[in-house]
Amino acid sequence: MERSGVDIVLVDDDPDFVEITSSVLARAGHRVRAFDDPDEAFEFLRGHPADLVVSDLMVKTLDAGFGLARRLKASEETRHIPIIIVTAASSQRGFDFTPHTDAELASMSADAFFNKPVEPAALLEAVRRLTGHTGG
Amino acid sequence: MENKTIEKILVVDDELGMREGCRKILVLEGFQVVTAEDGQAGLEAFEKHRDFSAALIDLKMPRKSGLELIEAIRAQDKRILLLVVTAYATIKTAVKAIQQGADGYIPKPFTPDELLLPLRSGLEKRALALETERLKREREERLLEVAFERSKANTIIDCMTDAVMVVNRDRQIVLQNAAAVRLMPEPACQPPSPLSTLGCQELCELLQAALDCGSERSISSQETRLGGCTYMVNASPVQTTAGKTLGAVAVLRDISSLKKLSESKSMFVSMVAHEIKSPLAAIEGYLEILRSGTAGQDPDRIRSILGRCQLRARTLREMVSELMNLVAMETGHFTLKRSPTELTELVSEVVDGFQDRARSKGIELSLHCDDGRDKKVLADRDAVRCIFTNLIDNAIKYTHSGGHVDVRLSRNDVYMRVSVKDDGFGMKDEDRQRIFEEFFRIKSDATAEIPGTGLGLCVVKRLVDMHQGKVSVKSALGDGSEFVVSLRQDED
Repeated sequence: MERSGVDIVLVDDDPDFVEITSSVLARAGHRVRAFDDPDEAFEFLRGHPADLVVSDLMVKTLDAGFGLARRLKASEETRHIPIIIVTAASSQRGFDFTPHTDAELASMSADAFFNKPVEPAALLEAVRRLTGHTGG
Repeated sequence: MENKTIEKILVVDDELGMREGCRKILVLEGFQVVTAEDGQAGLEAFEKHRDFSAALIDLKMPRKSGLELIEAIRAQDKRILLLVVTAYATIKTAVKAIQQGADGYIPKPFTPDELLLPLRSGLEKRALALETERLKREREERLLEVAFERSKANTIIDCMTDAVMVVNRDRQIVLQNAAAVRLMPEPACQPPSPLSTLGCQELCELLQAALDCGSERSISSQETRLGGCTYMVNASPVQTTAGKTLGAVAVLRDISSLKKLSESKSMFVSMVAHEIKSPLAAIEGYLEILRSGTAGQDPDRIRSILGRCQLRARTLREMVSELMNLVAMETGHFTLKRSPTELTELVSEVVDGFQDRARSKGIELSLHCDDGRDKKVLADRDAVRCIFTNLIDNAIKYTHSGGHVDVRLSRNDVYMRVSVKDDGFGMKDEDRQRIFEEFFRIKSDATAEIPGTGLGLCVVKRLVDMHQGKVSVKSALGDGSEFVVSLRQDED
């Protein structure tokens, strides 16, 4: 490994999730930058392409996560960045976004999908799989 | 027919001997006798009693002749036996008498048997005629009754809100009540119409199953969708007492509202689960990073994480106790202990309890009383405390440091009003409209870090409703909010 860990941008307005996930990722040796606004995250990523984006599906608006993922995949500078979508909306009010096939996952412009709460081990495994880094 | 009542006979003759002779014969035979000495007296006696079975009438009498009397009596009583008794019996007068309405005649002089024989046979005929009439009348009454019964049953079935339909063994609809007709896609067709015109496969199958189920009187029931509503259908065979199936009857009950209720309950449970899951997941996550050492060793950071855990746990506990309140209110186990209560005193207690918190957040919390001090309200003290604790707590939560929270008591003729007004965040109109909904919380940058259950205002609304009071809210985004609770003054 050339360097310890990867640069991860975390997008969520749930302070608990940001705090806990940042700790888990940082402990594994990754560098985390958190945003509670998808637009700010997008602007940042265009200037500083990270190795991975973890975004909640609903950040302020209902499908902000999808919107961010689409914009990232549509932009030349950011298209290569793997995206993990997380959400707590799975069962509430009949919403279930859980993709069942790779095609459904791709239609979300996402590379991995988790329902909250996310198991730290499963998240770290997804980070490893999508970036090829095990962290520090 | 055996007639137990004593039959009454009217004897009209101007000869005393004749009258008394007849009386003796008739009384011996068990009749009751009334006599009259001329035609006029005879009519008067008839009109006075009106319950004679027969009249023996002499033709030649003063004041009113026998013929005139017969005509007058016959006009009033079609069934009385009228016998002419005359010494001047000629075919001519006899025919005349019969034409006027007499039933027969007895020539004078006569033996007791010559009197009794025609009388008895006439009375028998009369009795038979009366009995026939009675039976006819009875049958007509019974028919009327049956017709009425049938129309009554039809009316009742038609008035039912449940739809009722009957099919015969040939799978034809033979009866539909009004509610059933309304359900049908083509209600115009007159019964019998084939089952298939129902246009509801499920209902057809149910009725078919009821027709086929034979002697077991089973009832099939399931949820059936028809014309945008949900029905519970009970179908059962229509059978004779011998168990022969004549057809099948289906009763359709609209359970759409029950279904909706059950769906909204499910939705509520799912929301509760979600609301409980989030803070629990947060607590679990924090505990995990503490336990695994992920959070590091910095005591300040560990303390801050524990603080967040504590906040989430407190939110959970508050949510659970508010849920319990809500459930208690819904099931009616939550009973108010209402007594004349001085609102000013109670509200100022609550305000005092919040002073420390307001001060520490740099908010000025003040209480103003107009002229409401003397009027009491009929209220439950705990409920009132709960209402204003929630409102003042919210006002402090959603107001910036340096802001103001004013609690003001006032009254009009009927209501005591308590206003809780802040110059805090305020809210958008669409949020204001939903503010009393369960679990509704305004999500914005400003409120993201504020813990809450989303149940407080819902509890406030229910408690105020239970007091037959009113709660309203005025607000504009960035311009603060004002909640006004109005409670009716105690009459006494």
